[in-house]
Amino acid sequence: MSEQADYFEVPGAHLYTVLHDVAAPVARVLLVGPFASERQNSYGPWVRWARYLADRQVEVLRYDYRGIGESTGAFEEMTFSDWHEDVRLLSSWLNERSPNLPLLLHGLEVGALLVGRIFDEGIGDALLLWSPTPNANVALRSTLLRWVGLEQLLRYSEDRKTAGDYIRKLEQGSSVEVEGYQWSPGLWRDSFTFELPSGMDDETNATLKYERPVKIAILSADAAPLAKKGIVGGGDEIKDLSWLYSDNFEWISEALTNPVGRA
Amino acid sequence: MAVTTGSRELFTLDGQGVLLKGTYHRPRQLKSSTELSKPDRLGVLFLNSLFLPRTATGDSAVYWAEAFAASGYHAFRMDLPGLGDSDAPLNTALLDFINAGGYGAIASAKVKELVARFDLDGVVIVGHCAGAVTALHAAAASEACRGLVILDPYFYLPQQLKKSKAWKRLVRWAASSALGGALSTAYDRLKDLRLSLRGKRPPGNANFALLRRWSEVAAKGLPVILFKAPGRKSPGTKPRVGEFNYIQHLLSLSDRKNQVEIQVIENTDHSFANLAGRSAIRDHVQRWLEIHFPLEPSIESTEVSTKVVVTVNEMNYGKHAECL
Repeated sequence: MSEQADYFEVPGAHLYTVLHDVAAPVARVLLVGPFASERQNSYGPWVRWARYLADRQVEVLRYDYRGIGESTGAFEEMTFSDWHEDVRLLSSWLNERSPNLPLLLHGLEVGALLVGRIFDEGIGDALLLWSPTPNANVALRSTLLRWVGLEQLLRYSEDRKTAGDYIRKLEQGSSVEVEGYQWSPGLWRDSFTFELPSGMDDETNATLKYERPVKIAILSADAAPLAKKGIVGGGDEIKDLSWLYSDNFEWISEALTNPVGRA
Repeated sequence: MAVTTGSRELFTLDGQGVLLKGTYHRPRQLKSSTELSKPDRLGVLFLNSLFLPRTATGDSAVYWAEAFAASGYHAFRMDLPGLGDSDAPLNTALLDFINAGGYGAIASAKVKELVARFDLDGVVIVGHCAGAVTALHAAAASEACRGLVILDPYFYLPQQLKKSKAWKRLVRWAASSALGGALSTAYDRLKDLRLSLRGKRPPGNANFALLRRWSEVAAKGLPVILFKAPGRKSPGTKPRVGEFNYIQHLLSLSDRKNQVEIQVIENTDHSFANLAGRSAIRDHVQRWLEIHFPLEPSIESTEVSTKVVVTVNEMNYGKHAECL
């Protein structure tokens, strides 16, 4: 088993990818992870999830969104369409690499929206969504609320801004900085219409609609920092989440060996 | 798929049976990594901030590495074992491990490996928060370390009580209510009274091993620049009422031959990741690098780099930027 880090060229940027390569893989997974500042807070548990899968003969590809983390490009210039295109290109690459193996798409929050939309286009043999939101704005809003809560602790009352202050600024056409990322008014505006496909809010309905296995899990606070829980810290980044991994691996294993609609 | 882009290269260091992952930012105008002459082959190495991957908060470490590479320095960001992309068994007591200098030896060994691998003359180590603890331990142990950049370091050992959820809830309440604020101020004054009875000695929860590493680094005469972010109750270099003045203590451990510079960056927070913080750090470090490690040595700059410098320079970066 090896972890090969590379750059994957997309229009105008290079995506940082890590392929968890395994001998004789039984399946492949594309992991579409936490968005913007959520990445830095949950990087460790996300990487450990990839390693957990690779240890069980699942080939994993994880990557950083365009303009975020190790990927190149300016975050403030990126759109949901760019990030959607990233997922499409990477899933195609992974599919071509070993076309006979089943492909699972797995995303967290904004990542869940991205893989949900790709799955809706007919790509992937199974879909695992962690904490999907109806649209990207709900995810952005919860990130903003958490960050504003932290900011308020560090400032005197006269310097404190509310989440409403930041939202007004975005709606008036100004960028705001959230944990080191410049959120543009365009990002905020587009987030309302970047939605989970209809019928994907319930796993039974989704499984019937797509005739492919779908699991939707709303992560509890125990799964922080993969789940948002107030202020990140207190060692959440290094806690053991193997209970979460084993539950989900069990489902993956079942889903990819007995896909819905196959004999 | 490729391990390089125009300006970046992914690398691994696998010496001593420990595999570390990192990103190299090539210096401006270099076609290959061996083009500069030996004295100019200084690396600037970023270590992880606490549990964060090597990109740091808001990708600020990427921003700084790109900036220093654009100035002509070789910049590296490296994940220590168990952090970012570098694998290691999960250590649920990682903060205690870091505070005890647990990463010092491997960081020092990897600095040596990095220097050999990229044919460098030496490195300046950059550490933020808990990364500053590791940076100090590594700098004290490493012969290849030429300087140190530390951002908002801490020189005490967090008490168990203060790690608890109940304590954090209490702090949140104190910060957000009038009564809590008044009680917090009274508590600070009581601590201050107790502190004054101790004189200039560090308190019992000081990280004495880390203070010894500081003394060792200072004794080597390495240029050091320390950045402090303003706290809610600790303006400038002064600590919060009731807290020990570690910066004053550090300066007392340094003597005239030391090149220690302290900068307070206003309008930012502990991460330095917002626009004001990241641009201030970029500008100060670039100036500091040019003084101590000029790429094209001239008579004038060589004189400056060998001069004895002991400065405490409190500067309001916002005001400074307006002047510019």
